[in-house]
Amino acid sequence: MFGSPTLRQLAPLLALVLGALALQQLLPQYFLYVGNLLMMYVILVIGLDLLIGWSGQFAFAHIAFFGIGIYATTILGTRYDLPFLIAMPVAAMLAGAVGFLIAFPATRLRAVYLALATFAFAECAQWVARTWDSVTKGADGLQIPPTSILGYAVGNDQHAFPVVAIILALVLAATLYLQRSRFARSMSAIRESEHVASASGIDVKRVKILSFTLSAIYAGVAGGVYTLFNSFVNPDILGVAQLVLVLTMLVVGGSGSIAGCVLGAVLIGILPEVLRAAPRSMLVWQEFFYGLILVLAIMFMPRGFFGAWQAWRDRARHAADKRDAQASQDTRLRAKASTEASS
Amino acid sequence: MSTIIVQAVVSGIVTGCIYALVALSLVIIFKTTDVVNFGGGEFVMVGSFLALFALVYLGVGYALALLLAAVAMFALGVTFDAVTMNRIGGRLYTRQTELVPTIVATIGLSYLLKGIVRVVPYTEEPRRIPPLFNAPPIFVGDVVIQAQDVVIVVATTLIMIGLWAFFRFTMAGRALRAISQNARAACLSGMPVRTLRMVVWGLSAGIAAVAGVLFAPKLLITPDSGTLVMFAFAAAIVGGFTSLPGCVVGGIVLGVTQNLVGVLIAPQAISVTPFFIIMVVLLLRPQGLFGDAIALKKV
Repeated sequence: MFGSPTLRQLAPLLALVLGALALQQLLPQYFLYVGNLLMMYVILVIGLDLLIGWSGQFAFAHIAFFGIGIYATTILGTRYDLPFLIAMPVAAMLAGAVGFLIAFPATRLRAVYLALATFAFAECAQWVARTWDSVTKGADGLQIPPTSILGYAVGNDQHAFPVVAIILALVLAATLYLQRSRFARSMSAIRESEHVASASGIDVKRVKILSFTLSAIYAGVAGGVYTLFNSFVNPDILGVAQLVLVLTMLVVGGSGSIAGCVLGAVLIGILPEVLRAAPRSMLVWQEFFYGLILVLAIMFMPRGFFGAWQAWRDRARHAADKRDAQASQDTRLRAKASTEASS
Repeated sequence: MSTIIVQAVVSGIVTGCIYALVALSLVIIFKTTDVVNFGGGEFVMVGSFLALFALVYLGVGYALALLLAAVAMFALGVTFDAVTMNRIGGRLYTRQTELVPTIVATIGLSYLLKGIVRVVPYTEEPRRIPPLFNAPPIFVGDVVIQAQDVVIVVATTLIMIGLWAFFRFTMAGRALRAISQNARAACLSGMPVRTLRMVVWGLSAGIAAVAGVLFAPKLLITPDSGTLVMFAFAAAIVGGFTSLPGCVVGGIVLGVTQNLVGVLIAPQAISVTPFFIIMVVLLLRPQGLFGDAIALKKV
């Protein structure tokens, strides 16, 4: 550990939970749904960022783990009558276990081969969800019954809202701690250079496998969250479109930082809802806009909105420093001139 | 039963040729720029729609429609490289291309093209391009071979030979081979690396368009036809991802396997075959059938 998160970092999390409890009664159902959705996406995006932004492994399997999380939570809840508080962690662990298993062969692959292999894995997972009728009910999908947490019934978006906020706050807090761990530094070292990392005594393979597992667990948690405010799941949720959506959030927000992930999830997650409010004729443009946003974002803001903002802030700060230095030099010169004049 | 299997193999070879063409269009880009084009399938799809529109609205002949589609796609490929990839890969001259931005950009391209095609009228319903020749099918024993199948195989062979000659004998082709070996050294010895890269993108899009036009009579074209690219990835990976003959072999292996899976195992398993093949090949033999050792060191 390199210190613990500052109060300034942890306070917003408390504000998030308190705000959710306060707004639960005030906001209309639809806004609560969008809020739940956005918070779920934040968890999903941060999980993906662990792999792509932190350790530089470009893996596409994330959405498969998300699907495992959803299906496992639902099935554990309906078939085995497990309460959500047990079903969700078990499902997340299951997703983590699958991530752990595919990490062994996957970490042998590099760069684009890893991307393609994990992409293929995600497609296979979708196919399994579509064909394994006895468990997933195939393309028809599964009903997700309302659940309850310690006697608190979670039946609709309004009930789910504070629960999702609490889970998100816990996940964010865990991420803040993780960010300061030795493990996170190892991941960044691997991202910068695997050779240097292993020469500095980092067990590259172990760190990679762990980051795969952790990322899968995040996706599994997001899957569990999904079951709280949705009443239905079908294999379409495991599709490429969903993956591209999460990737867009990461790229537009800015990978490698928690704030960037949150920003991206909110900006891109809200887009379909905004488009829904637009006239129907706009709806067909949705794919086009995603493509355009992706291309423009990667062209002009390779580090996302957050990265662009950071760069702008640094430049502004630099300029201010320069101005200050200039100003103090000016006053010094003027003082010197005045003393010379008086003498 | 044996007739069914022979038929499956024959038609597998034909679809395999299409996969091979698309795989070629991916591999020439990867070899020279280290970029994996996830929008390759959309090049195919847009190419076939362009040819369809040329046939219907301009009323031109088949050959001219094919040519127009290929030229238009060439221009599109060049433009995409000049506008987008050039900007992203500011350091494309060096060995290490940053992977994430380039993949994200090509995924963006694929959505962009798909989105444009979707809003163009006349694409809501699946469309079909008439076959090149309306000749009667050929019977070899009990096996049926469509005239279009012959066209596809011949066209693939011609394009393959053309590409081989291009990379072997022309100055541009040889320069491209040099770039794929060491871009920085090629640049230092005065090769117009940036221009050549645009040419490769154009060439790739052009080949994809030809594949699209050839493929369209066999399958319906929709804005979602771009998913074809996964079959091409599988074919390219079987072939080693850097080898041109590997693409052709990989494409045919994939096409035949897919049909045999459909006949012998289960029709539902067809759609998952390419992904399964990608995983198995990458795990057991990442260099594919024809990939060379350099290709492995490269990434």
